[in-house]
Amino acid sequence: MVRDTALSASGLLQDEMFGPGVKPYQPEAIWDVVGLPGGDTRNYVQSEGKDLYRRSLYTFWKRMAPPPNLEAFNAPSREVCTVRRERTNTPLQALVTLNDPQFVEAARNLAQLALQKGKSDPVATLDVIARRTLGRTLSDAEQAVLLDSQQAFAEHYAAHADDATALLAVGASAVDESISAASLAAWTMVCNQVLNLDELLNK
Amino acid sequence: MHNIQSRRQFFTTGRNIMGSAALASLLGQENSLFAATHRPMGPHFAPKAKRVIYLHMVGGPSQMDLFDYKPVMQEWYDKELPDSIRMGQRLTTMTSGQARFPVAPSKFKFSPAGECGLWMNTELLPNLAKKVDEICWMRSLHTEAINHEPASAAMQTGNQMTGRPCLGAWASYGLGSENENLPSFVVLVAVPSNRDQEQAISARLWSAGYLPGEHAGVSFRSQGDPILYITNPPGVPDAIRQRSIEGLNRLNEMQLAVHRDPETQTRIQQYEMAFRMQASVPELTDLSSEPDHIFELYGEDAKKPGTFANTALMSRRLIERGVRFVQVYHNNWDHHSNVAGRMPSQCKDIDQPCYALLEDLKQRGMLDDTLIIWGGEFGRTIYTQGNLSRENYGRDHHPRCFTMWMAGGGAKGGTIYGETDDFSYNIVKDPVHIRDFHATILQLMGFDHERFSYKFQGLDQRLTGVLPSRVIPELLA
Repeated sequence: MVRDTALSASGLLQDEMFGPGVKPYQPEAIWDVVGLPGGDTRNYVQSEGKDLYRRSLYTFWKRMAPPPNLEAFNAPSREVCTVRRERTNTPLQALVTLNDPQFVEAARNLAQLALQKGKSDPVATLDVIARRTLGRTLSDAEQAVLLDSQQAFAEHYAAHADDATALLAVGASAVDESISAASLAAWTMVCNQVLNLDELLNK
Repeated sequence: MHNIQSRRQFFTTGRNIMGSAALASLLGQENSLFAATHRPMGPHFAPKAKRVIYLHMVGGPSQMDLFDYKPVMQEWYDKELPDSIRMGQRLTTMTSGQARFPVAPSKFKFSPAGECGLWMNTELLPNLAKKVDEICWMRSLHTEAINHEPASAAMQTGNQMTGRPCLGAWASYGLGSENENLPSFVVLVAVPSNRDQEQAISARLWSAGYLPGEHAGVSFRSQGDPILYITNPPGVPDAIRQRSIEGLNRLNEMQLAVHRDPETQTRIQQYEMAFRMQASVPELTDLSSEPDHIFELYGEDAKKPGTFANTALMSRRLIERGVRFVQVYHNNWDHHSNVAGRMPSQCKDIDQPCYALLEDLKQRGMLDDTLIIWGGEFGRTIYTQGNLSRENYGRDHHPRCFTMWMAGGGAKGGTIYGETDDFSYNIVKDPVHIRDFHATILQLMGFDHERFSYKFQGLDQRLTGVLPSRVIPELLA
């Protein structure tokens, strides 16, 4: 749900149904350390194109090493039926939604979409982001916090072009070249904040 | 937070006033209750073992080739295991079809070590032999499980079925965290130098089971990021991350002010902890601050990420920083064949580092309240699996007796507890079931195993379950 929400808000989500499992982004050395030598799931071969953005339901499941970004959120082991999914709130989950390429890329795509729709007006852009994630408009106080952050990020990325390029390169999807790299990077970080709001993750 | 009064907080406060277990179970507490409060249950009495390092030897080390000396077996070479010893007991399908069960005496050199005089394999474990008097030896562990996964699950969780909380999760649940930058329960998987006969291990072994998920072991990896997703995305320096979390928390605080959901408060704290972890983990895994004499103590291998020596040193660094429970796995002890070829490298992997860990902790004054546990999930058979010669043989799984040891943390050094028959097949004196072992460890950690429970599925679930189990006083210092 958390992953699908981020994909959906960013416009990346593929709603195609059925078919074999897919292999989205996964850190290195997850399968090979537990897989038996010669096993056919010893090496993880990442999917390409739209298969990176399908609903998490279609993510390939290796029982000995389930997808780590889902496991952090207590994905059931699928060995027995689960009556009630456990609800927890851990720093490891924070690290997933802050740093997993899947979420960073979603933040960048959400930023692109919002900047296109908001015609680069900061308040209008924020409004698009808020509606696509929280399904509501922001209060003035919330806007002020996000614009404050945006400004700090923008200053950093204007002064550090390399950082902007590196951040935008996360994920396989195309970068909108019509937006300045510094601006897109700054708004990517704003979207990263919004996608990590308790209201989005917990409600 | 005192001006915020929600249902959950009311219960939380009430729980503290009226005593933890009682009210919590009366109310049929939700998992999120603990997640939201981070208050450990607390020990029943002062713990002697405030921290634990558990070295699990995956595969089941051969007790009669290491610590359970059986000299009489030399005369039994290639003779059939007597029916009076086997007594029709179940074997694994890996050897149950064998036409013969010829006795394979150990090919290794044993000699008595220390003042306690434990006869052990001093040929392959010369360093560990120097520590025998600080170690509490248990030669009479036994289990019902005969294959790896259920046996490891039983050893870790008290039950052959996976899905129960493991020892580390119980420790985290019961004693809580001693630090604000790292998880309370960390898992390290060491890579053995020989990987011929590794067994699969999985995160199910360090799950929190029915305990709140925050008590699950966090696996620190030796390749890639030590903790998954700990590294900021490319192009996000720490200052920017800090700025982003500050903004995020300000927004979360606004929501908290409106809805007063403690879960939101927890979220804020967890993001702060995530940031502190990001700051502290690189320092933790950077061994360059360790002086040369430490690498002399643990061996040069300690510099190589993922080796057992590296893992042992990392364990010390973790508990030094307040991690409550470190679970280490060292694989490839499943010697169905070629004991002669595999045992030396297995022992070389662990001998010096085990010695070093005990010595290092002692020098730092930490051994007194840190419990070290060493052992596999079962033992191995006296009869050979496959071909037998004086020089080489194989051994199948044997659940009816095996050796484990503990040191520090209130365990009685120099104790040799339990005895097996001449064939190291059946226990003849002082058996220690896994449940007894668990009860004893919990006792050292400050818990009465019969009262240390968690309400789940309408039952007060315990690590030691409902079958008979007891603390073994002879093992306590």
